[in-house]
Amino acid sequence: MSQGKILAGFVAPHPPHLVYAENPPQNEPRSEGGWEPLRWAYEKARKSIEELKPDVLLVHSPHWITTVGHHFLGVERLSGKSVDPIFPNLFRFAFDLNVDVDLAEACCGEAQALGLTAKMMRNPNFRVDYGTITTLHMVRPQWDIPVVGISANNSPYYLTLDEGVEEMERLGEATRRAIEKSGKRAVLLASNTFSHYHFHEEPEIPEDMSREHPQSYKGYKWDMRMIELMRRGEIREVMRLFPEWVEEAFAEVKSGAFPWMISAMEYPTTPAELHGYGTVIGTGNAVMEWRLAA
Amino acid sequence: MPVVSAFLMPGNPLPFLRQDNPPWAPLATAAKAAGEALRASRPDVLLIYSTQWFAVLDELWQARPHSTGVHVDENWYDYGDLQMDLRADVSLAQACVAGANAAGHRSKAVDYEGFPIDSGTIVANAFLNPGGTIPTVVAANNLYHDFATTEALGRVAAEQADLQGKRAAVIAVGGLSAGYFDKDIDIAEDRIVDEQSDAANRALLAAMEQGGADRLRAGLDDFAAAAKTDMGMKHLAWLLGGVGDFKNAHVHGYGSTYGAGAAVVEFKLA
Ligand SMILES: [Fe+2]
Repeated sequence: MSQGKILAGFVAPHPPHLVYAENPPQNEPRSEGGWEPLRWAYEKARKSIEELKPDVLLVHSPHWITTVGHHFLGVERLSGKSVDPIFPNLFRFAFDLNVDVDLAEACCGEAQALGLTAKMMRNPNFRVDYGTITTLHMVRPQWDIPVVGISANNSPYYLTLDEGVEEMERLGEATRRAIEKSGKRAVLLASNTFSHYHFHEEPEIPEDMSREHPQSYKGYKWDMRMIELMRRGEIREVMRLFPEWVEEAFAEVKSGAFPWMISAMEYPTTPAELHGYGTVIGTGNAVMEWRLAA
Repeated sequence: MPVVSAFLMPGNPLPFLRQDNPPWAPLATAAKAAGEALRASRPDVLLIYSTQWFAVLDELWQARPHSTGVHVDENWYDYGDLQMDLRADVSLAQACVAGANAAGHRSKAVDYEGFPIDSGTIVANAFLNPGGTIPTVVAANNLYHDFATTEALGRVAAEQADLQGKRAAVIAVGGLSAGYFDKDIDIAEDRIVDEQSDAANRALLAAMEQGGADRLRAGLDDFAAAAKTDMGMKHLAWLLGGVGDFKNAHVHGYGSTYGAGAAVVEFKLA
């Protein structure tokens, strides 16, 4: 068996609005569209995934929050209906996904070996969170690639940010080790919005794009500054500024997916490709790709 | 008098899911005793606020006539599934939405099959209202609302119940000190995570027992200074908004839920 590898990592944010706007058959509510530039950005990500032909997609989601350790989906097939508790008007999605339990167990084992509390979620009735589902649907609507779903341990909020980020980086290291030993071709998905300042009122028609723009100029400027650094491959500088970005842009990357992915990819100096940026109820969302291997 | 009883109930599902675990058993017993007291007060409706149901845009009010199905807690999935069995008092929920909007707190009713009712609401309702026979009005914890706004929402709910001539029980679902064990523990050895949090919990419970909304408010200030709190203790804001004032309280039980503080408290109304 040849050594497994991480083919690419994506920043792949999860506003359920994007699924809603696309009107896939799995989602109950119907829309008139909306957020097209972001959805076109995801079209490019879909094309990349198609080219890369990964064996597995690994996704870290801030909407599966766990207090005791880092958890991994550990049931081979999970299905059901996921209703977003925040936007139930937009997202009521019939999901049906296959989990790469072997790789999930390997990631869990490596995380434990690196001193993290980590566990497997074995309850077949578990309802997968809307962050995981939205990200997976937006990159691969065919749902034909097995996944590893990883929770967002609450450490960046419960401990200091530095301690939390350090845990996420260790989780990334564990993920890389498990992938390498698995022999599999893997794609990483950091399910994170950047600037998270948002409007507090929803338009009558949620997809009315005349109402959509950055909620915060400060948040927008932070996002542009960080995206530019990522596009230049200056990832160490990104991570140096990370705490300030989190603080000043109220960035959702605080929940850990981004540092997890960047650490798993060993802080790549490869320039990231920006597939697109757009706002959703005012929050900043970038679809970005780091291509590490063919 | 529209409000006939009021209770603080733990939001963490562990005492419900593992009633035989020694550190949690007293909380489960206490919760059942609270259920008896609640039923003795013959409420027509339960006005519930749970810190675990998050909203970020409008204030949300549950208006699904009957929420059923299985709920699996995202943390405590190993300990068993929860059965949703929650009936809404739809006309009162709609009145609360209208009343809250009129008071300037943008509100919306939610009525969706499969909506994930939070673990706290499910277990509090199961302890207090087995079989879900008494209808409820459940309001979300809007993360951007402060204590005062939440109190105003509790007041709206009680006023609307009164306008409909209903006897209401006000239920605050949430914890006390919010520090928890972030590593695996032997659950048979569960305890409050540190002495300072334990002392803060006991002082807050003493303030409730002594009674009076003002003493409780002062107690909450001290509590916030001494411990991490569950969501700014906004569940008690809801309760205070609903009852206005109270004479004293009876602590049916106090204990830990994976290091965090939890209590079952019955408030005696003025
Ligand atoms: Fe999110």
